[in-house]
Amino acid sequence: MDHLNHTRPAAGRINVDLIAIGIGLTLAALIRFNILPSISF
Amino acid sequence: MSAHTIPSPIEVPLSPARRLLRLLPGMALLFGIGVLGKLLEHAITLSNARYPQFAIPHIEYVLWAIVLGLIISNTVGVAAIFRPGVATYELWLKLGIVLVGGKFLMQDVLHIGGLSLALVAVELILSISVMTLLGHIFKLPPKLTSLLAIGSSICGVTAIMAAQGAIEPEEEDTSTAIAAILTLGAIALFTFPAIGHMLHMSQQGYGMWAGLAVDNTAESLVTGALYGEEAGRWTVLAKTARSSFIGFVVLAYAVYWSSRGLAPDVPHKGLFLWNKFPKFILGFLAISVLATAGYFTHGQLNSLSNLSRWAFLPAFAGVGLRTNLRDLVGQGWRPLIVGILGEIFIALVTLALVYWSYNHGVAR
Repeated sequence: MDHLNHTRPAAGRINVDLIAIGIGLTLAALIRFNILPSISF
Repeated sequence: MSAHTIPSPIEVPLSPARRLLRLLPGMALLFGIGVLGKLLEHAITLSNARYPQFAIPHIEYVLWAIVLGLIISNTVGVAAIFRPGVATYELWLKLGIVLVGGKFLMQDVLHIGGLSLALVAVELILSISVMTLLGHIFKLPPKLTSLLAIGSSICGVTAIMAAQGAIEPEEEDTSTAIAAILTLGAIALFTFPAIGHMLHMSQQGYGMWAGLAVDNTAESLVTGALYGEEAGRWTVLAKTARSSFIGFVVLAYAVYWSSRGLAPDVPHKGLFLWNKFPKFILGFLAISVLATAGYFTHGQLNSLSNLSRWAFLPAFAGVGLRTNLRDLVGQGWRPLIVGILGEIFIALVTLALVYWSYNHGVAR
């Protein structure tokens, strides 16, 4: 990880992207099946 | 606001549990600042309703989060214990973009995303040409000029970092290019909303403009969100369309420098494009496809949208926390002048493009 710029080499960046997709789809599934309650902001 | 904002700690191999534990203080700081921003916005709204004679200007939580982050990073600084967690702002930003896909039906993505791609293509050609010309005029090192052109035409720091391995510039050139792009992004945060209000731009038009003209993804999204929530969503769409070009531009520069014997050869161009492609865009599209297919109810789509706003909250705080205004003056004036002139040109061209497409009904 390049701590100077908060950036990572290519392989690391793919991981951040995949983690974001994984968390996003999981949250979407939890909402879809009403496991997560209604979320307000 | 530069490469020197967060000094590099010594890397020590850690177990996954310990690594996760190291992230917690910084993540708590990001969310703490974001929530404090929300509370301040709420408190001012309540105070203005209760004491209208002492009305305070309404400031959105987005701006509070940035300002609080800026105050911390430019006064006491970000302590070492918080740095690993603060770096997770990139994850929250990408998660927010994935989740906001639920707000876009595929027909919007195809129509406006298609328009964005057309505008991005024009913006790309013009900004690369102008940056290259300015680099020549101001006698910048050729690879620094390439980095500035890549950073300003596509998506800021990510594009510069993607190009670093491909064209092998001097380390100093990379730092300078990143500092210039981040500096210009910070300037956009405060100038773009003012210009948008002055020109009475629509939420959609302004959002498109911010997505096309502001380079770094985080600063671009904040610049859009500062104008309004709807504008922020359109910024996401325009910015993701622009980011999808990253592989092509970096590949073109890699081939150019390799042909001059000053960078490694690119044997597998298809693989190179895939490696440089920002994958989180696929998550955004997946959620958008599910929303279009009627997979979610209206209430569930609202929950998804609110979750994306919760994800953006720490990302906005992270933008403020990593910005160090003292570094503005420390990077040399020539790259900054080239960046400023180039960015003013790009901002004006993209503004004209957005205006043209709206006045001719293309964007509707």
